[in-house]
Amino acid sequence: MSSISIPKKSGFLTNLQRSMGGVLRRSLTIFLSVFLAIIVGSIIMLLYGQNPIMIYKLLIMGAFGSQVGFFVTIQRATPIIFTAVASALAFRTGVFNVGVEGQFFIGAIAGTYVGYAFKMPTIIHLPLSLLAGFAGGALWAFFPTLMRQKLGVSEIITTIMTNYLATYLISWLTTYPLAASAVTSETPFVQPTAVLPQFQEFTPFGKGTQASVGIFIALGVAFVMWYIFKRTKLGYEWRMVGLSSLFSEFGGINLNKTFIGGMLVSGGIAGLGGAVEILGVWRKYKNLFAVGFGFKGNLAALLGGQNIIGSTVAASLYGAMESGALGLEWNAGVPRQLIDIVVGLIIFFMAAEGMWDFLRKIKIARGEPARRTTENLEV
Amino acid sequence: MLPSYILHAQEINYMALAVEMIGIRKEFPGVVANDNVNLSVEQGEIHALVGENGAGKTTLMNILYGLYRAEAGTIKIRGKEVHIHRNSDAITLGIGMVHQSFKLVPSFTVAENITLGAEPRKFIFTDRNAVRKNVQEISERFGLQVDPDTRIRDLPVGVQQRVEILKALYRNADILILDEPTAVLTPQETRDLFGVVRSLVAKGKTVIFITHKFREVMEISNRVTVMRDGKVVATKETRDTNPAELARMMVGREVLLRVDKEKARPQEAVLQIQNLKVLDNRNLQAVRDVSLEVHKGEILGIAGVEGNGQRELVEAIVGLRPAIKGAIQVKGKEITGLSVRDRRETGISCVPEDRYVRGVALGASIEDNLIVGNYFKEPMSKGQVLNLSKIADFARDMVKKFDVRTPGTTIPAFTLSGGNLQKVVLAREISAEPELLIVAQPTRGLDVGSIEFVHRRIVEARDKGAAVLLVSAELEEVMSLSDRISVIYEGRIVGTIDADLATEEGLGLWMAGVTDHHKPDEIPAAGDQLDIDQKEANLV
Ligand SMILES: Nc1ncnc2c1ncn2[C@@H]1O[C@H](COP(=O)(O)OP(=O)(O)O)[C@@H](O)[C@H]1O
Ligand SMILES: [Mg+2]
Repeated sequence: MSSISIPKKSGFLTNLQRSMGGVLRRSLTIFLSVFLAIIVGSIIMLLYGQNPIMIYKLLIMGAFGSQVGFFVTIQRATPIIFTAVASALAFRTGVFNVGVEGQFFIGAIAGTYVGYAFKMPTIIHLPLSLLAGFAGGALWAFFPTLMRQKLGVSEIITTIMTNYLATYLISWLTTYPLAASAVTSETPFVQPTAVLPQFQEFTPFGKGTQASVGIFIALGVAFVMWYIFKRTKLGYEWRMVGLSSLFSEFGGINLNKTFIGGMLVSGGIAGLGGAVEILGVWRKYKNLFAVGFGFKGNLAALLGGQNIIGSTVAASLYGAMESGALGLEWNAGVPRQLIDIVVGLIIFFMAAEGMWDFLRKIKIARGEPARRTTENLEV
Repeated sequence: MLPSYILHAQEINYMALAVEMIGIRKEFPGVVANDNVNLSVEQGEIHALVGENGAGKTTLMNILYGLYRAEAGTIKIRGKEVHIHRNSDAITLGIGMVHQSFKLVPSFTVAENITLGAEPRKFIFTDRNAVRKNVQEISERFGLQVDPDTRIRDLPVGVQQRVEILKALYRNADILILDEPTAVLTPQETRDLFGVVRSLVAKGKTVIFITHKFREVMEISNRVTVMRDGKVVATKETRDTNPAELARMMVGREVLLRVDKEKARPQEAVLQIQNLKVLDNRNLQAVRDVSLEVHKGEILGIAGVEGNGQRELVEAIVGLRPAIKGAIQVKGKEITGLSVRDRRETGISCVPEDRYVRGVALGASIEDNLIVGNYFKEPMSKGQVLNLSKIADFARDMVKKFDVRTPGTTIPAFTLSGGNLQKVVLAREISAEPELLIVAQPTRGLDVGSIEFVHRRIVEARDKGAAVLLVSAELEEVMSLSDRISVIYEGRIVGTIDADLATEEGLGLWMAGVTDHHKPDEIPAAGDQLDIDQKEANLV
């Protein structure tokens, strides 16, 4: 039927360039943000009387340059991979799940409880404890989801609230009903049958670190989620609803089911991460052991462009920076808060890109020249 | 030796050119958007600039308005050569432009938007009273009614456009560029706009009017310049040309302005609606009492001014909006309780009126947009797993069959032009081989070639045995495509008539809610009042 359409030469190349532009611009943004953050970080270090080049070198050496550093990187990255994948999943389905933090806590305490309170063979006990973590996280995500779907309350508000709720609930649990003794705020140790082995326990590697086989679970979960997004009907629904719920509804996708499903799995993955952290590293729940894992995951997911692979990579880098910072503190006496500042700066500069966009819109509104106008969106 | 008064007259003639653009060239990576373009616009005229999407009209005007810099060429304003380096130069020269997509701040009031960036001041503060007074004064002077204190986001599109025009006038624009101003307007709003444009010209302004609707060119312009592929094809006195010639120049070949279709052979009823009531977003009754039938093999057109319940009617049929009363049956099966998916599975397809919101997910790939109706079925998926190669094949096939111009099927939908996006929607909805095909405002904002294509596909679907429900605010479209026409007014069907018997006047009365004087059989037959040329003009 091409005879009745009109030849138009102009489209092809420009269209391609425009779509390429999206990816390029995104990469450029990340690169520039990291670059600017390093520069500004350097200035701060100089002000602090430190040699930035040496610090960055030590940072990288600390994370990857030694066996210990490498295994600490693994240990640090593991929980963040879980929370980053959980965040990315939620973001992609169009839910701003800031509750990953609380879901991680609840998953951890649920995993701990099943881990210490029952006696079973490993083959049942370990999977069951992990499952408890997943279920705990999912449950904690369920309330905000329900409130959003039934009452229309923004999930940002409710998930922040459930985060607080989680902290208080766990303080109480670890101090009273689940406390190992009357004088501590921690649970008993989990049974040996519920423990995830650390590398130092069964290989000659990773001496002095607590990196566990949990990393394989983390990477496995990331892979499975990537596969689900790319290759399954469920993943298609998640992606579409995240991109446009109005289109998805029109196309016949069940919005409620998709939202709730996405949120539950997101919470579940965060909770599983909590359980893995306990069973692999700590083996008992100490009150407030894990503040910030959820937020780090949120940030890593944003840095990673909200896609599963990007978020996993960003989470690993985050872990590496933490490990490097730890080494710095040990070897050079540089406080690790400096690293937190650099990470904060990266986020800040990425957010600044959004600001530029905003400023440009204002300029256009004022009728000032814009480099590119909106004519491309032909009405 | 010529008498001096003739020389004088020539000079006046020369001075009478408001805008002269000579040999303008502008390139974008991979495209020459303007190639040696000449344009001259006389003082006080309405000059239509027409051409398909991508012809380079907006680019040319952006150069005149100082948003882009031309690589070559000269510009003269009122006979004097000028150098427009930036937007403020153009504004100083008295040039104003209303863009295709408005550039207003939704949360600001009308007055704030009009004066934005040029606010009257008291010391360093904005003088709010003066702002309101200035705006009121200018709106009275040009007869453009607006309430200075309403926020932009609460205004209909037509009024927003008026605000944009006022904004330009506030900056003392003498030469006003309107970039496809009617693309987003209803017929009524268009009529209002034409009134505004005429009164501006009567007050001595010059207007450059971009459009790709011939009817509008014929109705409003004094002269018309046609562009194609970055070049000017011709400039003509409007009265010396006609829609067919304009279409030919625009597209570069003969275009069928009339829809070519055979007589319908309607069979059994596919869609039956009885006493349907539907609420709108404000919980008011939008569909008050609609009963209608659409038969296999026919196109039933719903004509009506927009906002008379069409949107809610369509949404109720496809399942996006509950019916508070009444019955909707497809092939005898009641569907009011079914989900969107289940309704689609009973054989309903729909090309929605808001292409960019419901019709596609702009951020998703063309593939993903094409499979939303069948991804969950074999062969697109098996069990839970998608069959990516089958999906790619399907998408390639659709893109080819529906002539979607795109370098690939995995690039995001937002890279496509409006016409190509609509082809994607059509491909998805028609390839499902529906029993009932609903098409709402199917050609809004499209260029001539795409309109022709879309119309053909709709007729083709009918001939293959679909029952087609067409909803359109373009009366010409309804009249040329439909086999039967119903008119909706304030949520009720006020009349139904055979398309062969319908006239624009008769339908127009119905659309205005006048039913007493005209029974369908009293309405004069087509052709009695319109000559052929006029009819052609009305089709696009
Ligand atoms: N800012 C831009 N960057 C790149 N290409 C552009 C830009 N603006 C327009 N173009 C291209 O220039 C050509 C002419 O576009 P435009 O002037 O918008 O056409 P029209 O207004 O006639 O539809 C098109 O091929 C379009 O893709
Ligand atoms: Mg344009």
